[in-house]
Amino acid sequence: MLSRVADALFWMSRYLERADHVARAVDVTFQLDLDLHGVLANPVELEWNALLSLLRQPPPQIRDGEHPVGAVQRWLLLDMSNPGSVMSCVNRSRNNARSIRGSISPPMWRELNKLYWRLSDAGLPARVADSPHDFCEETQIGVLLFHGVCEATVMHDEGWHFIQLGRHLERAEKVLRTLDSKFGLLERSEAADLPINNLQWGAVLKKCAAYEAYQRLYISRVEPERVVEFLLTNADFPHSVRFCLARIMQSLTEISGRLPDRCDDDVVRTVGRLLNDLVYLEDATFDGERLHAFLGNALSRCARIGNLLQQQYALQ
Amino acid sequence: MSSHQPAAAALGSGPECAISAQEGLFAGYELGAAYDEMIGGLRSGEPVPRPHYQPLHERLLQTSPEDFRRRKAMTDLSMRQDGVGFTVYRAEEGIERVWPMDPVPRIIPAAEWRQIEAGLTQRINALNLFLWDVYHEQHILRDGVVPAGLVLQGAFFRREFVGVNVPRRIYIHICGTDLIRAADGEYLVLEDNARTPSGVSYMLQNRQVIKRVFPSLFNDYDVLPNDDYPAALLDVLQYIAPQSVSQPTAVLLSPGMYNSAYFEHSFLAQRMGIELVEGRDLLVDGNRVFMRTTRGRQRVDVIYRRIDDDFLDPLTFRADSALGVPGLVNAYRAGTVALANSIGTGIADDKGIYPFVPDMIRYYLKQEPLLNNVETFRPEIPAHRSHVLENLEKLVVKRVNESGGYGMLVGPASTKQQREEFHRMIAANPRDFIAQPTIQLSTHPTFVDGRLEGRHLDLRPFVLCGERVTVTPGGLTRVALPKGSLVVNSSQGGGSKDTWILADKPSASPRNE
Repeated sequence: MLSRVADALFWMSRYLERADHVARAVDVTFQLDLDLHGVLANPVELEWNALLSLLRQPPPQIRDGEHPVGAVQRWLLLDMSNPGSVMSCVNRSRNNARSIRGSISPPMWRELNKLYWRLSDAGLPARVADSPHDFCEETQIGVLLFHGVCEATVMHDEGWHFIQLGRHLERAEKVLRTLDSKFGLLERSEAADLPINNLQWGAVLKKCAAYEAYQRLYISRVEPERVVEFLLTNADFPHSVRFCLARIMQSLTEISGRLPDRCDDDVVRTVGRLLNDLVYLEDATFDGERLHAFLGNALSRCARIGNLLQQQYALQ
Repeated sequence: MSSHQPAAAALGSGPECAISAQEGLFAGYELGAAYDEMIGGLRSGEPVPRPHYQPLHERLLQTSPEDFRRRKAMTDLSMRQDGVGFTVYRAEEGIERVWPMDPVPRIIPAAEWRQIEAGLTQRINALNLFLWDVYHEQHILRDGVVPAGLVLQGAFFRREFVGVNVPRRIYIHICGTDLIRAADGEYLVLEDNARTPSGVSYMLQNRQVIKRVFPSLFNDYDVLPNDDYPAALLDVLQYIAPQSVSQPTAVLLSPGMYNSAYFEHSFLAQRMGIELVEGRDLLVDGNRVFMRTTRGRQRVDVIYRRIDDDFLDPLTFRADSALGVPGLVNAYRAGTVALANSIGTGIADDKGIYPFVPDMIRYYLKQEPLLNNVETFRPEIPAHRSHVLENLEKLVVKRVNESGGYGMLVGPASTKQQREEFHRMIAANPRDFIAQPTIQLSTHPTFVDGRLEGRHLDLRPFVLCGERVTVTPGGLTRVALPKGSLVVNSSQGGGSKDTWILADKPSASPRNE
């Protein structure tokens, strides 16, 4: 397939995954904010600032008469001058799709285009100031519809695998960042903080769409160590980092047309090592500082995977 | 035409609704000087439809304006969701706009269509013979049928291509000829679009949308499907491939997503199953064309190019073109790759050459033209010039070497200042203009502000020339939406209609029972 098309498929998918993640994170933070409102001294600032730093976003300019939280929500969801906002990501995803409309199925384009128009129609953005929930939910549903259509209406060939690469690489990175933003909480957990810890680690799970799956597996309170273990190493849950890397490996081998152990290129090597580290992770990794170091290292390896992909397939 | 039944129930426009003429869609329908496609006349103030429109007219009479408005909204939504848009330049940087479709179809009976089809076939054959001739022996110039200067000094004559043998001797593979209807109902050729005509995707898309939002309209008619166009186009592309290649790779070359016709490019590439490429995806090495893929280079044998000659190859034509492929023209000349349309077809559809097409038909085919031209004055001829300059307010003046409705003077709608400006320009450069009487393009009931009003329209059928000439049954009907406007171009506020060509034989059994 054309290198330009592969590139556009990758980014179409990656931006869409980013939009999905930001929308979910804003929605979860909004709910958490409501829960913590009466409990903590200044939860508003804490949680929303944590979200901004997790998304590596600067604090937004607050407009006249705007509530600071409203400003964060507007900035993360709607602001087109923020390249990381949901609207920007959906727009960039759609532009990538538009540039290769001949290479994706008409229903895929249609779903993406519908999502774009639903989100930009006046009604939905206007309601964000009141509650971001509808906007966030609409985004997540739109992304799911898109991937559902993608699953069912195109051949699972090279192009499809580039879509999977974009999606899973972005997801792995976002899950790693979400965990990294909370490693500090591992240090200081006292019995009195338990309900709040529960809420906060519950929010981590929810940001990774993992709350119910976690409950089902562990049938217990939300234990920080287990959350980390689950999101890093579970083999079967689609938002665990290990699962994402396994999918990336699978797509890479499909694209190259060789068996995994016969792939000798840099991308596969890098993915394979990180995947192995996750599969054979030692428990000791899970204390605060070592976790932080591990996550930072994993994040930089993910960035390297992205760069190597560009080189390998001449994605410009 | 098959069974014709009362339509109210099928339309779901309310129980036993009897909509009075005063509140119905045709309330206050006016006929102007133009030929109306649907309404033949008025009987005691009520519009009377032409026979082939009668079932449709009846259904529309049974449809309430509210119901129609709802379906129109569905049409718009459907178009927007499919992203059936085009990009408009000028205003800001280029905005996506959806091309509005009017849900009332335009209907052409079988016999009329046969005549159009024969006329278009004759015309494309003559134009292809003309192009071969002017790029080789130039008999027609030497015999003085077409003035040599007009061809050889035309802006679109490609000197570089004299003597080049194009595959299968075909220059124009895809032609979109614009037809209009005069006040007496005669179909006239307004212009031949023989470079990179667009619009065929709208023809196909309109049919899909109308089947979705107004299926009941089809109950009374046997409409010929138009869906075969992409397959027929692919046949043409494969037919012109270098003959040494057994499984040719065809691609569609587009300027990219910011081009106004990008929707069409991706649509056609997808329907043909070929790769949509941009200039930067292609490279020429040793006079062979390749595309850059994730697995290295892949040979390309046929290019359906939707880029104008000027931008095709910076080494041969405009050096500042970033859209083209350096070296493509030499590869084409060497015969390792085929182009559709060929290079240099612009001289055949130039407005300056247009008046001579009927003579070409007589010259090459020894036939009388089956479709006439619009009467055309050439200010270059002194007698014509004085007539044109004295009658600017009655004429449509067009600039040679322009397209898309830009650089035009529509006399009756012009201001004194505009006429003076054209007067000056024509007197200075008479050769750059042609003038035609203002034809009242035919009108058709069109949904405007809650009811139907007559709006002017034209018709662009699509002609393919490969092993044989194929005219896809249908075409793009473009309609000028502002009242009284005669400019139908999408860039100038036009809309479109689905175009129905009726089957010849009435079907044996009535449907829908």
